[in-house]
Amino acid sequence: MDLQLSPAHLKFRDELRAWLRANLRRSWHDELRDPAHDENSLMQFRRRWQRMLHEAGYLGLDWPREWGGRGATAVEKAIFEAEMAAADAPQILNTLGIGLLGPALIHHGSEEQRRRFIPPMLAADEIWCQGFSEPGAGSDLASLKTTAVLDGDHFVLNGQKVWTTFGPWADWIFVLARTDPRDRYGGISFILCKLDTPGVTVRPLRQITGESEFGEVFFEDVRVPRANLVGQIGEGWRIAMTVLAYERGAVGLAMANRYGRDLGALAAACRELGRTDAASREKLGRLVVENEVLRAAGVRMLATLAEGRAPGAESSIEKIMWSEFDKRFRETALDLLGPGGQLLRHAPGARSEVDWAREYLWSRAGTIYSGSSEVQRNIIAKRVLELPQDGR
Amino acid sequence: MRFALSEDQALLQRATREFFAAEFPMACNRRVMEADGPGFEPAGWARLAAMGYLGLTVPAARGGQGLGAVELAVVLEEAGRHGVPGPLLDVMLAAALLAAAPDDTGLLADVLAGRRLAVLARADALYAGAPGPAATFAGGRVRGTKYFVPFAGSADALLVTTAGEVVVAEGPFAAVPLPTFDPAQRFAQVDLDRAATRLGPLELLEPVDQLAAVGASAMLLGIMQTLLDTTIAYTRTRHAFGKPIAAFQALQHRMADMLVRTEATRAAVYRAAWCLDTRDPDAALACAAAKAWAGDAARLVAGEAIQMHGGIGFTWELDVHFHVKRVKTLEQHYGATSAQLERALVAAGY
Repeated sequence: MDLQLSPAHLKFRDELRAWLRANLRRSWHDELRDPAHDENSLMQFRRRWQRMLHEAGYLGLDWPREWGGRGATAVEKAIFEAEMAAADAPQILNTLGIGLLGPALIHHGSEEQRRRFIPPMLAADEIWCQGFSEPGAGSDLASLKTTAVLDGDHFVLNGQKVWTTFGPWADWIFVLARTDPRDRYGGISFILCKLDTPGVTVRPLRQITGESEFGEVFFEDVRVPRANLVGQIGEGWRIAMTVLAYERGAVGLAMANRYGRDLGALAAACRELGRTDAASREKLGRLVVENEVLRAAGVRMLATLAEGRAPGAESSIEKIMWSEFDKRFRETALDLLGPGGQLLRHAPGARSEVDWAREYLWSRAGTIYSGSSEVQRNIIAKRVLELPQDGR
Repeated sequence: MRFALSEDQALLQRATREFFAAEFPMACNRRVMEADGPGFEPAGWARLAAMGYLGLTVPAARGGQGLGAVELAVVLEEAGRHGVPGPLLDVMLAAALLAAAPDDTGLLADVLAGRRLAVLARADALYAGAPGPAATFAGGRVRGTKYFVPFAGSADALLVTTAGEVVVAEGPFAAVPLPTFDPAQRFAQVDLDRAATRLGPLELLEPVDQLAAVGASAMLLGIMQTLLDTTIAYTRTRHAFGKPIAAFQALQHRMADMLVRTEATRAAVYRAAWCLDTRDPDAALACAAAKAWAGDAARLVAGEAIQMHGGIGFTWELDVHFHVKRVKTLEQHYGATSAQLERALVAAGY
């Protein structure tokens, strides 16, 4: 066992820390509570922040250099995420482009597609959203019904996507569409579509936070050049699975850093509010303990990556751990803070260290997106425990 | 960077697994636990000593193996997994404490060789929240009453905590048995009024407490693994409504949660052990977190194991209850959860 970062990884981390000290003027929490910001200006802020990171060479860390990456590994990527969280840096704007589509193009795309799409993706000139879920296809993604019919050198898309994260802010969408109605998995293709193409309608959906980070996208006889097909016809499911493995990634350490910062703020708030009785201490203690366990799992995942092994079902374990903990954490935070914890961030008297109300609401999303907790448990039951499958 | 065990550690794990499987099969463990005897078998105990397990973390210069907390966790995880009864953890901790002070009487050497048995006597009360008076040490005598002293009836020496220091009292002791529902453990009350020698200040206990947290958590981890394995095996063979009950999603998701807790415990235990061995600044927090978490996690795993076995899970015949009972002992001793939560908060600076 050796849980210490290698000298090279330590060097990478220290350089990143120095860069953050020099370039991160305000924490994300400070940006959020600046009354001059609205939802749009926050998005534009994230675009500028992404460009700074890109120019410094911190995006596409584990991509080959020829595609604008750094040629590093998943370890540097996990360290990057962990340090960004520890510094409370804003998220980049093009999370889905860089997090999901980039790897898909690198693994499955054509040279022309990489050349065309990766540079503006990294520079935040083109923002991407993910067209996977549909009204009738969520956890059971393979039952998706949006169709793509080949007509000459174009696909014609018809259907509807929903819970499309960044839909209202994006320029492009990557779509899973059905090219063969008879083949459940092999009849799905992966297609790139510009959102201003005639026949595409994007409607923002208001979330329980009041924000509209996601939306729904309608396709009505939308003509997309055949050149926008990634991989071969019928390879969409396989590509999506590659992409989703990246999405789950190694985020345990980053999450532990993020929650650790907020836990420190909660502990300070408890002290200030006189919430130091035994019951409150026990509640706070359980949160601190669970976050340390999450940190340990994150360190283990990092070590797995450093050994050159690809995380398999471990990412399902990690996803359940952080997302379920987030809900317990935010719920307990409101217990400890009392009704003031529900105040919106600009309300008079609202505490400023963390937007407790927003975090409470957001914690409800983590166990649903990117494979719900129930889907993760299915994955564990099948691939790790190898339990007999229920033959419906 | 590597989470996996080193070659030597993996070798220790394999050897220990084979040793426990051969020397401590569950059928024999059951006989020892069910008997009215001392709660361990002298011949088996002698073999444990001969293998060098008792002084695993004791420096080589003091007659031990000079290994670290990671190796301790490896051995105790296997002990938990195989349901090995007896004072293994208790004596390992006593040896670690004895090794922290000069050994003028040869007690440490005797303990490591299995010639004498020493354990810690800590608890000043039977119930939480009602601490009795601490034992005192004055004029070369220790006076007071200690509760839940492990295997006191077999002990040749007790390492007794008093108001200000740790002292060594030599036996035999008039131990009043405190039978609990856990047959793997023999607890007793010991009334002390006898000559004793000072071992050192209470501060000696801090590293021992951290080792105890890692060791008990590692045993909990091993037990959780056994309970999960047993539950999976049972639900795969037990049929209801025309199929193995393991095919029902209601049970699959619960077994998935058992795995999540078990693997989270594994990460926490071995990280804590590594932090101890490398004197990492996170060590205190990691040890407290591992023990507090393992206690809670094992509760869930133990409860689910009984529930998913159904009626047979409530029988004495099945091994499950022995493991479940041990879980409770390990959770409430060796730094109970409430104490570990407070330690974690203090270590985190809160």
